[in-house]
Amino acid sequence: MKKILKMILKVLGKFLLIGLIGFVATFTLYITNGENKLIYYVIRPFLNKHYDSQVRDRKI
Amino acid sequence: MKDLKHLIFFENLLQDAQNELVEKAKSEGQLALGYNCYYIPEVLLNLPGCFSSRLRAPRCTSTDIAGYYMTNRSCPYARSILERAIEGGYNYLDALFGAESCATMDRMETHFTLLHPVKNDRFFVTHIDPPMKGDKTNLDYYKVQLAVKVLQPLKEKLGVDTSEEALRSAVEKHNRLCRVITEIGAFRRLPNPPITGYEFHVMQLVSQVCPQDLILPYLEETLEELKTREPEPTFPFRTRVVLVGSEVDDPEFTKLIETCGAMVVADRYCFGSFPSREEIEILEGESAFDAICRTYLHWNQCARFMDGMKIDQRHDEVERLVKEFGAEGIIYENMKFCEFWSYEKVLASNIFINERHIPTCTIEKEYALGAVGQLRTRFQAFIESLEIKQIQGGK
Amino acid sequence: MKLLDKMVAPLDKALERFDPLKKAEKGTGGQRDRYYDKTGVAKWREWRGVKDTMVDYGAWLNNILSMVQMVASAPVPILKGFWEYRWMGSYLGTFMFIDRLFEGYRGPELQIAHMNMHAIVQSLTKRIAFALKNDARFGGGPDTMNIIPHDETITPLFLKGFKGLYPFPLQTLPEFIICDIDQHIEPYYIDVAESYGLPADVCSRCAAETGVAIDDAFPLFGRVLLSTNMPCNASEATSMFQRRRYAKPDFPITLAMQHNNPEALPYSRETLQNAMAFVEEHYGVKYDWNEFFKYARLMNEQNTIELEKWDLFKTPYSPLSGIAESLYRLYSWQSVNGQEEYFNKVDRKVIQIMRRCYEKKYLPFGGKTRHRAFLWGPSAVYYTDFPTWTQNCWGITIVLNMDSTMGYNIINTEDPEIAMDDITRFTEKACMRHHAVGGWENINAVWDWAKNFNCDMVLMNDNIACNGMLGVHGMMEEQARDLGFHFIFIEHDLQDSRTVSRQDMRNCVNKYMSVVLNEKPLDPTIVEFDDAEAY
Repeated sequence: MKKILKMILKVLGKFLLIGLIGFVATFTLYITNGENKLIYYVIRPFLNKHYDSQVRDRKI
Repeated sequence: MKDLKHLIFFENLLQDAQNELVEKAKSEGQLALGYNCYYIPEVLLNLPGCFSSRLRAPRCTSTDIAGYYMTNRSCPYARSILERAIEGGYNYLDALFGAESCATMDRMETHFTLLHPVKNDRFFVTHIDPPMKGDKTNLDYYKVQLAVKVLQPLKEKLGVDTSEEALRSAVEKHNRLCRVITEIGAFRRLPNPPITGYEFHVMQLVSQVCPQDLILPYLEETLEELKTREPEPTFPFRTRVVLVGSEVDDPEFTKLIETCGAMVVADRYCFGSFPSREEIEILEGESAFDAICRTYLHWNQCARFMDGMKIDQRHDEVERLVKEFGAEGIIYENMKFCEFWSYEKVLASNIFINERHIPTCTIEKEYALGAVGQLRTRFQAFIESLEIKQIQGGK
Repeated sequence: MKLLDKMVAPLDKALERFDPLKKAEKGTGGQRDRYYDKTGVAKWREWRGVKDTMVDYGAWLNNILSMVQMVASAPVPILKGFWEYRWMGSYLGTFMFIDRLFEGYRGPELQIAHMNMHAIVQSLTKRIAFALKNDARFGGGPDTMNIIPHDETITPLFLKGFKGLYPFPLQTLPEFIICDIDQHIEPYYIDVAESYGLPADVCSRCAAETGVAIDDAFPLFGRVLLSTNMPCNASEATSMFQRRRYAKPDFPITLAMQHNNPEALPYSRETLQNAMAFVEEHYGVKYDWNEFFKYARLMNEQNTIELEKWDLFKTPYSPLSGIAESLYRLYSWQSVNGQEEYFNKVDRKVIQIMRRCYEKKYLPFGGKTRHRAFLWGPSAVYYTDFPTWTQNCWGITIVLNMDSTMGYNIINTEDPEIAMDDITRFTEKACMRHHAVGGWENINAVWDWAKNFNCDMVLMNDNIACNGMLGVHGMMEEQARDLGFHFIFIEHDLQDSRTVSRQDMRNCVNKYMSVVLNEKPLDPTIVEFDDAEAY
């Protein structure tokens, strides 16, 4: 019984730890506005460069 | 060419909406019925005791007051009409039959109700909801609209006879006018016509802005005169074009193109004769009213029609005019801020240049012809390109 | 809950100096302090107190999850979509968009705003995945030929009677929605259209749609195209380009412009019936009224709740207002239109919160509302987060947007004959249309709406290329003066932010508030700032 309880606590602890790490990581990303900075300064300029180089089938 | 006997008289009639023939008809007790758009069949406004008056605002150079109401970013034709109305230029009108064919036109006509610019106690305005397709559903709706918004108020508010008999007589009168104008216009098909595009434009305009009974004798006389009129020894223009687009009610615009060297051989624009001078044929078993609605919906070439059949028809019609009138190019014009014709000219010029291989030039214009230097340059360049094509044998 | 409040109170107190609302109150800063100049990129997200920051964080996670689900449901087509379509790249601005929209929101305002916004995000992500998965350009999918592409201003509800077919508003992805998220995307398409000779003075929304067509940037699916004359002249005209480029049999659904007149109904009804017959002919699927009734019931419930919301909007105690209201209503009415039960669930939850707030006499936005405004505004409202800004800067609450008053009639769900009339009336009262065409009375109705909703102010977005509204400019001014409303024209060029910048739009309000009303801003940092490079 004690062993099972210990195991449950251990799993729970792991979940909590993962949850905590997950929370810290995502909350840091959230509060620092990290994803938007990445999108604005890196991803969109890269995509725009690609879009600008596209040859499109323009016609009426 | 020798001057036409009545040309100056016609030109003078175009100097004011309330011209001498309008005044004469009014003094005889006729009702003056205004309209702005082809969607309102002119023939319905020429029932016994009435005459139609397609609204123009000649010599309108400033639209300050209308600009306050509609801003300076709206169609200058609509603004000019409103300005002229506020100035009291349409006080002869007994009614205005409007159409929500384009938003600006509708708004301008709305101001005729809201501001009461027409000082005539019985004056009223109605607006039809014009169809946007050529199918039966839309024809039926067109009939309902014209019955409820034109015939009914004519009968109930002005006591006009709208019986089948009256309608048939109006159709007959209308057809007579159409035959005369069509015959005059047909001279433009000749290799060296005894008439210029400008002269025709003047005649077409007077036929729309004057009481038909009063103007018809002059037009008939002019037709006879044209039959024997000697053209110039050689064709005096460098090329021939069809003019297509929105509102052109100033013959000076046609003159501008012609002074650049291109004769306007066909007029497919609002106020032009294509469409407007097609005869109405009443089929067996058909009422005159049904025939009018059917004819007007069929011939209507407005750029607001959305169905493929009508879109193709308006391009086919322009191509027909090019072929039948021996034109070498097309000029597409749109009034500034006219959304329908702004789009249509882009589409049509693409179709004509790339698919039907007819040289096409597109321009945007103001209502009042002011500084025309840029337009002149555009026309001259286009005409030169047509000439080069001639020299290269059409290649 | 109260215990939790007590627990976080000390932390809230300690971190108060990061809260832009508190900073503005104390005169030590405000919302704009968080931003890098011009870009619209925040250095850090808004600190709203522990509880509300967690609500915002939770909503952010939830939205990310929807996007992950979108990519996971069709990874290859989504990646291809990003590579092929310029407008797809703009959807990456969604998070920044949401942050901007709900700046300064707290408590139930924030909670409702996120519930509404997540409904849109989860729906839109599914639609993007569906569209790209079935895009013939990428090889197509199982439903490529079962989709009915239709104009964005045609409401899809009446098409739900075709079991197994999927109505899809064609312009929604490349133009209708994305122009709200990224102000820089549509100018590209506008330039494409203008490079083919289209004058710059036409409505920029329709110019953009034309540009998308010319640039071959619509997703490709379906057997037909249902175009329409709604809402206005330019959109009728742009249809010519779209039908041509889409190159499928098309049916223009031309509903009566004068939709309040008695003659309109039979005509519009027959037009819709013709459209149904057209779909039946091309897809070989018979119209099933029972199938239609299923979705009509959902729409009816949404509209019933909406009408109750309107009653609450009339009071000072509504936590739902501004952009959270208008954007949600626009999407849930025009695009969802009874097709997704998720929206009904959200509506049920939201109305409960609203009822509670009313019972408690809860004053939203910290009781800082100075003016209640009725808004007449299309897209330029959203990319500029205008209602949020008016609230935060001047305390002007946008109570309701004219666009939110689209078809709210209840549709009969038993008798097809009656239902046909009802769905016709409903379809006619579409977005940007029911109050803008069909005569002066429909426009002039704005004053009655404003009065009924206890507004003292009317904000009118003045699209510099909208022929319909330019035509009544002077009359609107005169009406406002005669009826005693504060009235502000906000000049804008709808989807072309280069012509009239966001700051120019804000200045229209700034000038009125400071010069005419002599009021002081709630947050001086957002009176004048440069965000021209923001999405």
